[in-house]
Amino acid sequence: MASKDQIMEIEKMTKLILERDFALKKLVEEAKLQKEELEKTLKALFRKDLALSEVREKKDQVLKQIKEKTEELETVRSALINMLEDAEEARKKAEEEKEKTLVIITNLTDGLLVFSKNNFLSLINPQAEIYLEVKKEEVTGLFFKDLYLFPRFRPILDLLGEKMRTFFRKEVKIAEDLIVEVSSILLFGAKRERAGSLVILHDITREKMIEQMKTEFVSIAAHQLRTPLSAMKWSLEFLKDPKISFEEKRSTLEQLYGSTERMIKLVNDLLNVSRIEEGRFIYQFKEEDIMEVVKDVVEQVRPNAQKKGIKLIVKFPYVKIPLVKIDREKLSMALNNLLSNAINYSFPKGRIWINIEEKEKEVLVSVKDEGAGIPKHQQARVFTKFFRGTNVIKMETEGSGLGLYITKSIIEAHKGRIWFESEEGRGTTFYFTLPLER
Amino acid sequence: MAKILVVEDDKFLRELILRKLKEENYETCFAVDGEEGLSKIQEEKPDLVLLDLILPGMNGFDVLKKKQEIPEIAQIPVVVLSNLGQKEDVERALKYGAKDYLVKAHFTLDEIAAKIKKYLPQS
Repeated sequence: MASKDQIMEIEKMTKLILERDFALKKLVEEAKLQKEELEKTLKALFRKDLALSEVREKKDQVLKQIKEKTEELETVRSALINMLEDAEEARKKAEEEKEKTLVIITNLTDGLLVFSKNNFLSLINPQAEIYLEVKKEEVTGLFFKDLYLFPRFRPILDLLGEKMRTFFRKEVKIAEDLIVEVSSILLFGAKRERAGSLVILHDITREKMIEQMKTEFVSIAAHQLRTPLSAMKWSLEFLKDPKISFEEKRSTLEQLYGSTERMIKLVNDLLNVSRIEEGRFIYQFKEEDIMEVVKDVVEQVRPNAQKKGIKLIVKFPYVKIPLVKIDREKLSMALNNLLSNAINYSFPKGRIWINIEEKEKEVLVSVKDEGAGIPKHQQARVFTKFFRGTNVIKMETEGSGLGLYITKSIIEAHKGRIWFESEEGRGTTFYFTLPLER
Repeated sequence: MAKILVVEDDKFLRELILRKLKEENYETCFAVDGEEGLSKIQEEKPDLVLLDLILPGMNGFDVLKKKQEIPEIAQIPVVVLSNLGQKEDVERALKYGAKDYLVKAHFTLDEIAAKIKKYLPQS
């Protein structure tokens, strides 16, 4: 049996336990509550997090959208810039085009005049200003008829007439030293309506001069050819006469033969001159021994020299001269001309020296005579066409006056130089050089 | 006997003309260029001058012009005998007082002699 104390103890302990239990229960409940609370919080937190990430996502989306928009804008912008650039380029091009046209008009070597459809001068380019001796400020905007004030305009205005006739390449002498070819063309607008007239002035002064030179050349050539022809005609007429003596016949025939020879030489010279002037004097260069060429030509002319008792003295260098690139046929012709002149203009029993030497990068050839010489005042004209010294015409010589002209152009075609020293009555020395190839 | 001066620079032509003129019984003299021609006209006072135009130095046109300016010889008839045949040359020579203009290659010596006769005083 339990004591009261014991019971009390137990009661006390039970109470305690109960109390503890209660407290525990309470604690558990509290913990539960707390846990719930926590869970709630957690959930809330979780939700918040979710919301946040949603927000973030949204933000990202917006950002992306913004980025996309920006990119889009960027493309639009660059497209815009491109468009602007294109426009600028187009404008520049148009300007350049305009400038180009202006540059062409300004720098054209032909003169240009543009008349409006009402016959007012609307444009004049610098070349036309020069041709017509006017300033564009004083003529631009003037009416057709008022341009008659300017003398050089007159022949052109006469040609055009009030109706602005169209024509092609009409020759007009504007001044003593200016001949132009005038063309007049109608200008049409985009809708084929008449927009005015364009007048082109093309300078042909030089061509006209050349034409005149050609005419002169032909008339001089005709004169030169007729001289031996007259001689032939008259001597044949003379030979027909039965009364003349055998001796007379013989000497006339000899001279007749001479005239024929002269005629042949003259025709050849004239042909060569015309070939030279037309640039058709073809050269075929080959390496040759210049000494051989000289020897050959000396032998060609020796009979003529012997007839006059003239001595030909050829002096070659001790050392062989290198080969020279020449057109042998043409160079022989040039040498023959120089030697023939020396013989023709030497006095009987004279001497002629032919000298060849190598000098630096050249071959120097000289032909020296003791003949009539060239008068000082005529020396400047020696190489011109149809030149003949006044002093030698009295000698029994004949020449076409073309030999030295031809000779000079042959030497120059070989890139050589030709010159002479001369004293009237004492003789002449002609020199020429040929370049040696390095 | 009429005297004829031949101004001609070509020796062979000159000889042929002179021979022909002598055959026709003319008295002859000659010059080979313009200067000599002009002075021979004054010295020789010929009855007629046969004048070439293309001459060394002073040409035939100048001889004609100068001759017209010298009263003592201005009346001496000149017949141009040249191988220049352009219309302008002929007109120029006639303007300067040439009596006639003969192109050498177009005439025989006989024809030239016949032409000359017209301009000589009838003796």
